[in-house]
Amino acid sequence: MSGGAAAWIGRGGLALLGAALLAVPFVLPELGYGFWVNIVTEILIWSLLAASVNLLFGYVGLLSFGQALFFGFGMYGATLAVIHWEAGFWTGLLAGTLAATAMAAVAGALAVRLTWHYFAIITVVFSLIFYFAAMSNKTLTGGDDGLSFSAPAVFDMAGVTVTLADPLAQYFSVLGVVAACYAIMGVVVRSPLGLAFAAVRENDRRARLIGIDVYRTRLVAFVLAGALAGVSGALFAFFGRYASASYMVYHVSGEAVVWAIVGGIGTLLGPLFGTALLIVFRELVSTVWENYLFAVGGLTVLVVMFAPLGLAGLWRGALGRLTAPRAAPAEAPADPVAPSADARAVPGGR
Amino acid sequence: MTTERRPDRATSADVATGSDAAHPSRRSFLQTALAGGALAGTAYVALGRDMSAFAQAGGPIVIGQHCELTGGFASWGYWHNKCGAAAVKLINEMGGIAGRKVELVTEDTESNPATGTRKLRSLIQRNGASFVVGSVHSGVMLAAIPVATELKTVYFSSGEATEATGEKGTRYSFRTGTDTYGLAAAGAPWAFKNLGKRWTIISPDYAWGHSHYKEHKAVVEKLGGHVNDPIFVPLDAKDLVPYLTKIPQDTEVLFSVFFGALSVAFYTQAKSMGLEKTMRMYSVSGTIEAIAPADLKGAAEGVYIVENFPRMAKYKDDGFHRDYLKAIGTDDVHGRETGSERVNAKSHSWQNWENMFALKQAIEASGWKTKKDDKGVIEALEGMQMANALGHPQGAKTLRKEDHSGIIDCYISRVENDELQVKTKVAKEDLAAMMPVRFDLSKQAV
Repeated sequence: MSGGAAAWIGRGGLALLGAALLAVPFVLPELGYGFWVNIVTEILIWSLLAASVNLLFGYVGLLSFGQALFFGFGMYGATLAVIHWEAGFWTGLLAGTLAATAMAAVAGALAVRLTWHYFAIITVVFSLIFYFAAMSNKTLTGGDDGLSFSAPAVFDMAGVTVTLADPLAQYFSVLGVVAACYAIMGVVVRSPLGLAFAAVRENDRRARLIGIDVYRTRLVAFVLAGALAGVSGALFAFFGRYASASYMVYHVSGEAVVWAIVGGIGTLLGPLFGTALLIVFRELVSTVWENYLFAVGGLTVLVVMFAPLGLAGLWRGALGRLTAPRAAPAEAPADPVAPSADARAVPGGR
Repeated sequence: MTTERRPDRATSADVATGSDAAHPSRRSFLQTALAGGALAGTAYVALGRDMSAFAQAGGPIVIGQHCELTGGFASWGYWHNKCGAAAVKLINEMGGIAGRKVELVTEDTESNPATGTRKLRSLIQRNGASFVVGSVHSGVMLAAIPVATELKTVYFSSGEATEATGEKGTRYSFRTGTDTYGLAAAGAPWAFKNLGKRWTIISPDYAWGHSHYKEHKAVVEKLGGHVNDPIFVPLDAKDLVPYLTKIPQDTEVLFSVFFGALSVAFYTQAKSMGLEKTMRMYSVSGTIEAIAPADLKGAAEGVYIVENFPRMAKYKDDGFHRDYLKAIGTDDVHGRETGSERVNAKSHSWQNWENMFALKQAIEASGWKTKKDDKGVIEALEGMQMANALGHPQGAKTLRKEDHSGIIDCYISRVENDELQVKTKVAKEDLAAMMPVRFDLSKQAV
């Protein structure tokens, strides 16, 4: 088989994934697993936060521990819009995304001047500053208690109102938004901008020499990642009917980093699989063991040790072995935007 | 592990390139085992848990328990869980509810509102809980109520933020114990009369503390007293001295609302600063829940505390109370667990016990069979009278129809020689008179 066959298998897998996700709210309840529709919804939402980490780390080489800040802004943007303006789902989602994007533009203007661990530290610092500000501004944010609200309308026209309380409306609204985000991300990373991301990640000095504005490229990636995290936060607020400052703390970002790494950085859908694996595992173990985080940590260590390129790396390896000529060494299909081994090993790509 | 070589699968080229497909190396074996194990585990556990959703009308009644088993409220959650489990055990020994066995499913909220919401969905949608005996954490219960309402499931709160049976309450939210409104009504007039008229409130910076401040301020100011600006302490604070130094010198009554480690820090640091020499220390039971005054080495001596259920059994001296203490395994003076150093969160944890019996009474009275009969249970709970009995050892009480609030006897005690000595009892009739109905939840649609 050839690279063309690998591409067809990849497309087939994607179609299968799409079909499975479309079938989830119909099939799972019929089988008596209705609750798992919520878990799939949660996976979709959280995977966007992991994808935002991936966009920065996997495609541009910037390891951020501050994505929770933009997640929180998305969460509060949506929640406050619902509470104070009686916004519906779409308006709230827009408000949350805009709030997160604006915050990312401000934070990014300062943060992307730095790279390596300096960048990671400043993202944590930003996250902490706004975490404490949100915790102390209880009137606006609800602080540690958070703010709760009732399910808003997804569709309200001609006397017909459908709210997020309708499980199908909730699932397909989330799936639609998440799929659109992945599609946009797929277009971006394969565009000239995506190639600029990869160039900056691999060697920013060479990128500068060939005329790429490294600062602007990193800032664009940072703002895009912030917007993705904001969409994720807004969706999570709608899903839980709740927003809390506790989601702005850096350990939430840390979880997203783990999901992205376990899924496979520098791959479009890796974060989705990493998030799925760890959330499903958490959901299963937490019902029988209250200290389930030990097990989640153990699983993460195992995956990182035995599948250092993540689940997507396993998939690519399997695909490579399936499609490569028998005598040739098994290699993953070429991907112009996939990070090199060096870039994976060192944040900043050098 | 040894790997048997299979000529049809491996070549030297494969070995050279490290191809896992060619031969099962240690790595590929572990990868496969990991993936296979995860899949098998998923299938097994998921199947086992979700099958409860198929419970039939004549099968067990599943009651969910939404508990703080870990996190900041774990010392309370342990008792809530224990009391709920003991009640279900007793109910099943008595023949169940309407002849049906009760199956209790407990989920840990981790003392975190977001996790609590997820676990509530798990209780209802995954485990098929028809009713939920809920959280004592104000933040968790306030986040849980909209979800329980959306999922049309009766939810008993046991935390004190009044919003749960007030502005954020719904037809599905109930509370057999007191809230900040009730505690202010029960204790503040007595404290105002006997302890002082200039108050300062110090509390944690979250819903419970804010709610106490709001309700107590209203009562004290209505009586003609003065309440200074509140002092809110972050939940993760360790050193309270910077906050204690903010207490105005003219304070006559220092009203404190803390829990767990913050309580211990408050009492010990306030004592070391000698605050009790210039002001009277007044608090609610939450501040001393799961803590024995003796363990504070005298730091809580002289503090006045509003209790919902006297820690010393002699102040509510009947067989029901003593049988209850026996069933949950604590002594009748300090509330300490038999064979351990744990101290019962007694003024709150009784709700998990009694809520099970309240549900039993409502289910049997309404003839409930399945979820579609929930309206009958809600109507039975609204205004339900509960007699002093083993099922209701805290005492006779009413679940007020309009605001779904428990109207109960309260006690004002003082720590003397490391024991909580009751000084006065506020009868439930007096409490009802002091807390007029502010919200009517019974008019909401089911």
